[in-house]
Amino acid sequence: MKLNERSVAHYALSDSPADHTGFLRTWGGPGTPSTPSGTGRRCWFVLKGNLLFSFESREGRAPLSLVVLEGCTVELAEAPVPEEFAFAICFDAPGVRPHLLAAEGPAAQEAWVKALSRASFGYMRLVVRELESQLQDARQSLALQCRSSWKSVAGRCKPQAPNHRSVGLENGHSLSKDSSPVGLVEEGGSRSSGRGLAEWELQGPASLLLGRGQSPVSPETSCFSTLHDWYGQEIMELRQCWQQRAQRNQPKCEEQDKP
Amino acid sequence: MRYNEKELQALSRQPAEMAAELGMRGPKKGSVLKRRLVKLVVNFLFYFRTDEAEPVGALLLERCRVIREEPGAFSISFIEDPERKYHFECSSEEQCQEWMEALRRASYEFMRRSLIFYRNEIRKVTGKDPLEQFGISEEARFQLSGLQA
Repeated sequence: MKLNERSVAHYALSDSPADHTGFLRTWGGPGTPSTPSGTGRRCWFVLKGNLLFSFESREGRAPLSLVVLEGCTVELAEAPVPEEFAFAICFDAPGVRPHLLAAEGPAAQEAWVKALSRASFGYMRLVVRELESQLQDARQSLALQCRSSWKSVAGRCKPQAPNHRSVGLENGHSLSKDSSPVGLVEEGGSRSSGRGLAEWELQGPASLLLGRGQSPVSPETSCFSTLHDWYGQEIMELRQCWQQRAQRNQPKCEEQDKP
Repeated sequence: MRYNEKELQALSRQPAEMAAELGMRGPKKGSVLKRRLVKLVVNFLFYFRTDEAEPVGALLLERCRVIREEPGAFSISFIEDPERKYHFECSSEEQCQEWMEALRRASYEFMRRSLIFYRNEIRKVTGKDPLEQFGISEEARFQLSGLQA
């Protein structure tokens, strides 16, 4: 099976955050004997998301191996004597041998087992969805409190969505710089069009909850973040009107310009 | 780099986020458009010959760019070589849009950012850390500092 190995290796070496790193002894992998024996090989392991990479050393420029941590469980194992602090990554799939690994101490063993157990994509997705709905609930209760003083809130609200800044347009990275966590978003004032804003924002975290065919424009929408975006757009348009009016009636209405 | 093909094969059999028959063209010059069954499973895109059970190949979707090409078509490339593109042709504009959106969200890194964003927002609104209830607030993968790495 082909794999985009060059990109995978690039990701392994990139500055994207590693979820866990450390030295482990390893016995597994293709080309090794089917029954683990001996003291294994000491490698530098890097866990990124659901991918476990090994390197010859901390300075290794190319990963030695990759284990994809999906459909597996992590268990404490009985190492080949005299190795202690061993654990194994066991796969549900038939014909896939467990990966036997050993840490250098009990704390490291525990930390690795924990980190590897939570490495799957599904786990992360569960947590994200949970937080997404918690945020929705929190904002809804906040919105209910604000509703009564809507006019003053609208006057103060900035016509931008800084919250979505953290989600880049691209898949996990921004266009501008490799290491920058911030997506390509200009501040509210320099945004070219309200339409473009709504479209872009829907690609952010809000889109995880936005159902197919759900109109973001209707105030009845149940997803608060899209409701927030909709009102934000209205505020932007209102603000433009105020600014234009203020420019025409300059001396009297300057205070309306203040956000 | 060693990896266990069986692991990937097993993954390709898992329930897919999205699956469809699309036209696909590899990045090499002179590649021909071929019909492939394309299947999105977690952060991997598998592609199969339409009559085969095992995938021809897989693409890890971390740090990929999904770009609109002609109408109804998009490409996937990777940050270290943006000119090296995998082309996909869809049967409709709607399908193309659907795939592009799904692929942009299909990385672990995207989820990590979403999670950190939500965690931070909840903290701002409620004053509490939502991860504490799960006992995972100290996990490396959920830290804001991870974004600055």
